[in-house]
Amino acid sequence: MNEIGPLKIILCKNKEAVFLLLEIKIKIIPKIIMHKKIMYICIMSNSKLYKGSLNTIILKLLNENDKMYGYEITQKVKALTQGELNITEGALYPALHKLEAEGLLDVEVAKVDNRLRKYYKLTESGTKETVNKLEELAEYIKTMQALVNPKLA
Amino acid sequence: MKLTKEEIQFIDNYLVKNEVKFWDVRLELLDHIVSAIEDKIGNEGVSFNEALLEVHKGFGNQFIEYGISKKDIFKKGLYQSNFGFKKFTRKKQKELGRKYRKQNWKNVKNLFINPKFLLEYLVFIGLFLTLYKFLPKYIFLSGLMVLMIPTFISIYYSIRDKSTWKSLSFAMVLSSGMLWWTLYNLGFYIMKYYYGSLEEMPQMILVIIPCIFYPFLRGSIKVYKQVYINNKFNYNLKIQN
Repeated sequence: MNEIGPLKIILCKNKEAVFLLLEIKIKIIPKIIMHKKIMYICIMSNSKLYKGSLNTIILKLLNENDKMYGYEITQKVKALTQGELNITEGALYPALHKLEAEGLLDVEVAKVDNRLRKYYKLTESGTKETVNKLEELAEYIKTMQALVNPKLA
Repeated sequence: MKLTKEEIQFIDNYLVKNEVKFWDVRLELLDHIVSAIEDKIGNEGVSFNEALLEVHKGFGNQFIEYGISKKDIFKKGLYQSNFGFKKFTRKKQKELGRKYRKQNWKNVKNLFINPKFLLEYLVFIGLFLTLYKFLPKYIFLSGLMVLMIPTFISIYYSIRDKSTWKSLSFAMVLSSGMLWWTLYNLGFYIMKYYYGSLEEMPQMILVIIPCIFYPFLRGSIKVYKQVYINNKFNYNLKIQN
């Protein structure tokens, strides 16, 4: 804990910080909040950096796996990034539904273990878009590399 | 560990209680929740109740435990807020609306390069011009009936097949079809306001409006049928394993 003037600053590294304020647990989206002259700062998670690449991640995974269902995608991403990137349900499904609406994904439903499962797979235009998106991402990484670490670029 | 039929049924009921009323939204949520719970029980060793509560929160459903005794946490926690599920449905609804509008527009463009439709369109215009000349007092009612065709078709399908009930995709495709009827009504009321009464309104307007909307209407009927065929194909399933 650091002290700057009259304010106490508490740094919290949790992605979704849970502070105990006035004995009530309040779930707070990472941001700066003030309470009784205490500034609570929760360091922003890196999820915002990944957000812009979510569609590319989904398209790439489907390109490699033929067809996948929602939960499988979240687990695959978690495993591939060794837990670093955790796609939430609230981010995954709107992205899947958007890609479906754009005609990049197709849907297949199958009965598995007493329930219906919705699989997503790439359409022809989805496969083409994956190539474009990956090229875009590679270009972005190259540009960022040049900015952040010119020696490696 | 695989969940039992009763546990899956419990989750389905829990979703219904949380106002996830559309079956096509529920089935996707159900599969995700069941998969997540099976995974949590198997890998983290938590109980069914703990896993469900955790997944419930994971969807963005707020839960404040303050003031709730430990034995009531599961029961109260599940139904305290359904904000996450509402957001999920709203976003899906938005995307479906976009998808059907796009499909509708594509269908309209395709209709104008279809000689069969062009002939049908000419007959339609001819029919309305004939009505205008010989039976002008029926023109408003005829236009209204034409613009209500998507509604009649949806009623026919909902009587024929229960799967169209409480389905978000059908609700959205129907609302995109009803858009023409709404626009017709709106246009009519603007004209009525401008001219004062129906009698004073130039009857030709009542010919032009249905003729303009007709291709869009045909496009939306086609989308409705496409959604019906796709849903039948996707959900009329045989057990895989």
